[in-house]
Amino acid sequence: MHPGSEIPILNVENLTVAYQHGETWQNAVRDVSLRISSGETLGLVGESGSGKTTLLYGIMRYLPAGGRLRGGTIELAGQDLSALSDAEMRHVWGKQIGMVPQNPQTSLNPTIQVGEQIAETVRHHLSLDGPAAWRRVIELLEMVHINDPHRVSKSYPHQISGGMQQRILIAMALSTEPILLVLDEPTTNLDVTTQAEILDLIGEQIQVHKTAAIYVTHNLGVAANICDRIAVMYAGELVEEAPTSGLFEKPLHPYTQGLLDSVPRLGETKSSLRLRAIEGQIPPIDEHPPGCVFAPRCPIAIEICKQHTPLYVPDTGRRTRCHRWEELMLEEVFARQKPAPKIQQQDEFAEEDQTLKLENISVHFPVKRSLREALSRSPTKTVKAVDGVNMQMSKRETLGLVGESGSGKTTLARAVMGLVEKTGGKMELLGISLPSRLSERHLDTLRSLQMVFQDSDGALNPYLSIGESLRRPLISLVGINRAQADAEVDKLLNAVHLRSSFAQRLPGQLSGGEKQRVAIARAFASNPDLLICDEPVSSLDVSVQASILNLLNDLQLENHSSLLFISHDLAVVGYLADFIFVMYLGQIMQEAQAVDLFDSPYHPYTEALLSAIPVADPQALQDFIRLEDALPNPTDELTGCPYHTRCQRTLGNICEQETPPWQEDENGKRIYCHIPLEELRAAQKRAFAQPRSERE
Amino acid sequence: MNKYINLIKNNLSLTILLISLLVVLILTSCAQATQAPEITDAGTTHETSEGPTISREGVFKVAMQPIVQTDPAFISSDSEVLVANHVYDYLVDIDPQNNIIPRLAKEWTVSDDGLSYVFTLQEGVTFHDGSPLSAEDVVWTFNRLRDPEAGLPTGDLYSNIANVGGSGDLEVIFTLENPNPFFLFDLSDNHALILKAGTEDASTTFNGTGPFKVSNYLPEDRIILEANENYFIDGEPKLAGIEIIFFNDEAAAVDALRGGQVDLALRMSTELFVSLQDEPNIVTIDIPTNGFDLVRLRSDRSPGDDPRVIQAFKLATDRQAILQLVQQGYGAIGRDSPIGPLYTTYYSEDTPVPTRDIAAARQLLSDAGYPDGLEMEMHVPDSGGRPNLAVVLKEQWAEAGIDVNVIVEPESVYYGDDGWLEVDLGNTGWGSRPYPQFYLDVMLKCDAIWNESHFCDDEFDHLVSLAGSTLDEAERIEAYHEMQRILIERGPVIIPYFFAQYAAISDQFQGFELKAFAGRTDFRQLSTTR
Amino acid sequence: MPSVPHTQTKQENAAPSRGWRFFRVIRRLYARPASALGTSIFIIFLFLAIIGPLVTPYTTTEQIYSDAFQSPSSAHWFGTDNLGRDVFSRVIAGAREILVLAGLGTLISVVTGTIIGLLSGYRGGWFDELIMRFFDSLLALPAMLLALLLLGTLGPSTNSILIVIVVVYTPIVARVTRSVVLEVKNKAYVEAARLQGESLPHIVFGEILPPVLPTLAVESALRFSYAIFLVASLGFLGVGVQPPNPNWGLMVKETRNYVSQMPWALYFPVIAISLTVIGINLMADGLKELFGVGTQ
Repeated sequence: MHPGSEIPILNVENLTVAYQHGETWQNAVRDVSLRISSGETLGLVGESGSGKTTLLYGIMRYLPAGGRLRGGTIELAGQDLSALSDAEMRHVWGKQIGMVPQNPQTSLNPTIQVGEQIAETVRHHLSLDGPAAWRRVIELLEMVHINDPHRVSKSYPHQISGGMQQRILIAMALSTEPILLVLDEPTTNLDVTTQAEILDLIGEQIQVHKTAAIYVTHNLGVAANICDRIAVMYAGELVEEAPTSGLFEKPLHPYTQGLLDSVPRLGETKSSLRLRAIEGQIPPIDEHPPGCVFAPRCPIAIEICKQHTPLYVPDTGRRTRCHRWEELMLEEVFARQKPAPKIQQQDEFAEEDQTLKLENISVHFPVKRSLREALSRSPTKTVKAVDGVNMQMSKRETLGLVGESGSGKTTLARAVMGLVEKTGGKMELLGISLPSRLSERHLDTLRSLQMVFQDSDGALNPYLSIGESLRRPLISLVGINRAQADAEVDKLLNAVHLRSSFAQRLPGQLSGGEKQRVAIARAFASNPDLLICDEPVSSLDVSVQASILNLLNDLQLENHSSLLFISHDLAVVGYLADFIFVMYLGQIMQEAQAVDLFDSPYHPYTEALLSAIPVADPQALQDFIRLEDALPNPTDELTGCPYHTRCQRTLGNICEQETPPWQEDENGKRIYCHIPLEELRAAQKRAFAQPRSERE
Repeated sequence: MNKYINLIKNNLSLTILLISLLVVLILTSCAQATQAPEITDAGTTHETSEGPTISREGVFKVAMQPIVQTDPAFISSDSEVLVANHVYDYLVDIDPQNNIIPRLAKEWTVSDDGLSYVFTLQEGVTFHDGSPLSAEDVVWTFNRLRDPEAGLPTGDLYSNIANVGGSGDLEVIFTLENPNPFFLFDLSDNHALILKAGTEDASTTFNGTGPFKVSNYLPEDRIILEANENYFIDGEPKLAGIEIIFFNDEAAAVDALRGGQVDLALRMSTELFVSLQDEPNIVTIDIPTNGFDLVRLRSDRSPGDDPRVIQAFKLATDRQAILQLVQQGYGAIGRDSPIGPLYTTYYSEDTPVPTRDIAAARQLLSDAGYPDGLEMEMHVPDSGGRPNLAVVLKEQWAEAGIDVNVIVEPESVYYGDDGWLEVDLGNTGWGSRPYPQFYLDVMLKCDAIWNESHFCDDEFDHLVSLAGSTLDEAERIEAYHEMQRILIERGPVIIPYFFAQYAAISDQFQGFELKAFAGRTDFRQLSTTR
Repeated sequence: MPSVPHTQTKQENAAPSRGWRFFRVIRRLYARPASALGTSIFIIFLFLAIIGPLVTPYTTTEQIYSDAFQSPSSAHWFGTDNLGRDVFSRVIAGAREILVLAGLGTLISVVTGTIIGLLSGYRGGWFDELIMRFFDSLLALPAMLLALLLLGTLGPSTNSILIVIVVVYTPIVARVTRSVVLEVKNKAYVEAARLQGESLPHIVFGEILPPVLPTLAVESALRFSYAIFLVASLGFLGVGVQPPNPNWGLMVKETRNYVSQMPWALYFPVIAISLTVIGINLMADGLKELFGVGTQ
């Protein structure tokens, strides 16, 4: 990807965007300048509240009723967009600016066939009609590598997969050959493997059409994959801008450094380093610190940072809003500050007792039959969400369960918790049989088995104060009275690093990270033997994730609990877990110690996962394995290996028809595959980048 | 455009379903529209079997309550009588001035002892089915009406008839047991329409001699009559047809009149009548009648069995105010007796009606054992001025400590299953009759079939029999005056007013003569100027 | 159109004082003109209903014959009717009648409907199916028809009307409640409560009910306005209320034939009905916007 010609396609200067909050206007984006040339992709990276989305919509002049451009200019190929009326902008939208939105579910009209939706754009902007328009539609579908474009063009959005929907949207955006392509986190809702394919597609199309592009994302790895240059936003300001490789090699702003340090990379485990969390949280929109906007949270802030910080230009193509950039360049600053403490190693497992034992667990859901099916007496179809899973957890162990959507990991967790009834198999907690229904379990069992949910917003009852939410389990499960409970609540809050005053607050006043901490505190209130965490950090900002992961780890050690950690993010699971299970379509594909997981041999699915995860290091070596994007229909009867329909290393008939054996190597790694371990070991190289700790 | 074609193509089955649904809807509504045949307004010129040809024009549309009974032996409401009155004929009729006039009977003689009546029928009268009218039909009709086994409403009325016989084709002889000075009026009772002898089901055959034939009867909707070409009176009827359209709601009927959908409205409350006064193209007519609204306790059980209680009610009533408020001045004040000013000589004002005296009323109640007043429920049919009357009475009586709970019910509920005869306190409407004896026989005599107040007074009963049988007019007058005195002193009923009969007719019709019992109004002489 | 992103202001972070929440709601209802109007109308009628009959110049039933058919004047603000009754006093008394009857009926239906909706939605299973199908069949009948059928069976009286309101509106409230319950019962905090071994009553009333309340408040206001209309309609048909009850609908029935003679006696009850229903409806709309019910 090379930067294009001299004339910028997009030239934004000193742009300020404001939102109306009640009576006043608050600036959500302040004084931002950008420049993109044709063929160039600029990444806009930031967390929630950074203003990146606002900036994007501001540039496109597509703000909601409560938003307004308050200063600066926007020039698209020389034309001043800020001076145009809405009617005139309508000619720009679609024709000169193409947009790929975040959520394909809500961006496609569910009642119109997808081909027709593309045709609509084509007819309107390109003035094609009838068969000519339709030909163009088929062309576009082929351009985005959709097989069988005729059939797909006649489908409705709900009949095609998420990845394919996104392809349709990309086709739509590019149908008019726009000069600027705007992408608003288009892969956020997609599976890792699908994401990888879509990213490939986007990269390819940008090269082919030579459009300028802005890619908004919160994921540095994705940005590293696609973008030529990256602009980092924080609290409405541009804090750093650099070419991609330069940014990752040597970030010149503490925030960027903090972002990079807070995300576990593939291969890093908790025993090798501790994640660095960024303290504090993003300031509210109406309360900016006077000087540098990041100063309150910055580990290296000094006196001068209380004054307004201008954008410095250390090098061509690089800008940063930090007074201490020269020191950062010399790489002394962070090293001088608190060194990353090594995680306290766990004692060798003193007790060999098992916390959890799962034997051949199955959870099947019957699919409601249509009248026709009921009349024709066809057998009831079932969705085999979990199909024959065996698992053992030891005390004080962290077990990681990895899988994408449809893998059944959440269903498995819920079955263990009793929220969903298992259809087969046995469960044992601390050696005692675990009833499948919640209502049949003793209070003792409930006390020893708790869960942290994915949805941090929904984790706390919005009408109860924090203190009240924490008191309830203490009273119900631990059995202490109210007066004692108050003291306990205090202890719990402190344990999750929250001030005691939080007890009076309501959930609505807490940030996502704070809410999740409270949820974790609540889960630990009864001192459970096993804590199940279902994607506890997926809905949180990157800078907050690190602190939550650290917290989970610390609490687990303190309380001597076991932890079952579920996620789709292999990097996070690899970091936190001692032992990892990889799940696909209701079955376990691979079991391995965390340290071993990243070494070959891998199960072909694990291999694909590892190669698909975007790594925040442009110099990373990553294998290129791409899967066809559709999961098989969950109600279909599958024989043989469940992965055989998408496997890149399938052996053909044997994989289709025969159940694979479990193969074990000397380290205790087990792989569910027909291919002999030796063959795998030879064929698979290390599928990802070198971890940071090794490079230091 | 393509988009819509695509939309249809993709939802083909749904589209077909919707279109077929639409087609079905259209077809059914078309079918409905063709169901009601209309008589054309165009004039028709016909030859009659007698006399010169006349040209009949115009269809006269009347708004009336729905009819239930079509068999003349069972009719009672205004609309039922109106219909029957035009399909059949009476032997003798009553004119608007309350005189007996010939109809099917050409002339008649009465014996000196008043026990024998001989009628000569008109010649050349035919039923609608073409068969000629003969004495046999008259005999058959009256034998049916007076048959004690049949249990018809007229059974009692005609119990005095000893024999009905025919003599020849056109002569009918009635022999009575006792003289009845009002016998001719009795013969013109609403039910006494002449049917063809041997009619099996009078409620559906509609085979009469009347000026109009039933062309189509749509229950609950309308009945359509067309002129009887062979009517025995020359030059009648003048209209080509009549359409009686059924309205449940008086206000709707009046609105239809305003809008020109009907030409005549016969039943309406006073306020509706008043609202039509200034309407262009509509003529409003009101005549005094002997119809009245009556309020009564039951004198056969508590509390009404104590005459002091009834007296208290009467003393608490302000009749003048009631006439003003409820009837807006139309009609005449009532004096608690069914003999009204319309009956001239029979009516007497000798006995004064006591003026309103609340204190006296309270005292009487206290004496009768109700020092704290009374609490009762008053049932009221929801028609005419009766609901208003009930509310006004409630207010008036409340001052005397009588607490009445008004219960307004639809007519079908009030009169249904003879409930109105059973309630303790009721409010009933009575239509106008040509002579007062009817009310006495039917409502106030001890064994009267509609004795809603359960009044039983020997002296009164004696007077009733006397008035109903003596041939001496002076004696009769004296008896009526005496009865009125008794009713004022100790009668069980309160009759606050006699109401007027209202009619509103389009000014494009002439020859309309309203009768006090609205249903007997007849349209034979009605013609249109359209 | 993208929506304004949720970024918190300092103000929103401050803790609200629980006690004054109610007045905050009222204040925010007054922020928009439409809901301000509606709320004002409702408060005025409420006020009239409470103190009205105590300060009206005449009683609802006294008939001053000499004053009949008088047009509005200083002696009779709304004029008099055909029986000499003061229309103003009757309309005010009617306010109390109708608001109390409709209000009580709505209250009972809301309570009943909420409990049924909560249990049905939370339990699910055949219990839920049975109840919901039964309610569906009730809802298939038009409200007026159902009302007339019930009144025919129960006989006309105030209690019957109350029962009618409850029977007609409980299914609707139950439905609305149930739909929110279905949404809420899968929330993480409800599951957390279950995992903590909380009892069923606690979960249903402590965890699930609070988020239902905003929707319930809006629905109650709406039902209230419909109940008022239902009571007036039944009065107009003459079922369930007897003269001289100052039911506005009955007043309309009694005076509609007198339009040429005393139009004011008809118009004022009509205006009263319309204003009240519209006012409460606007207030319900305001509440809806306030609580953010129905969006997202």
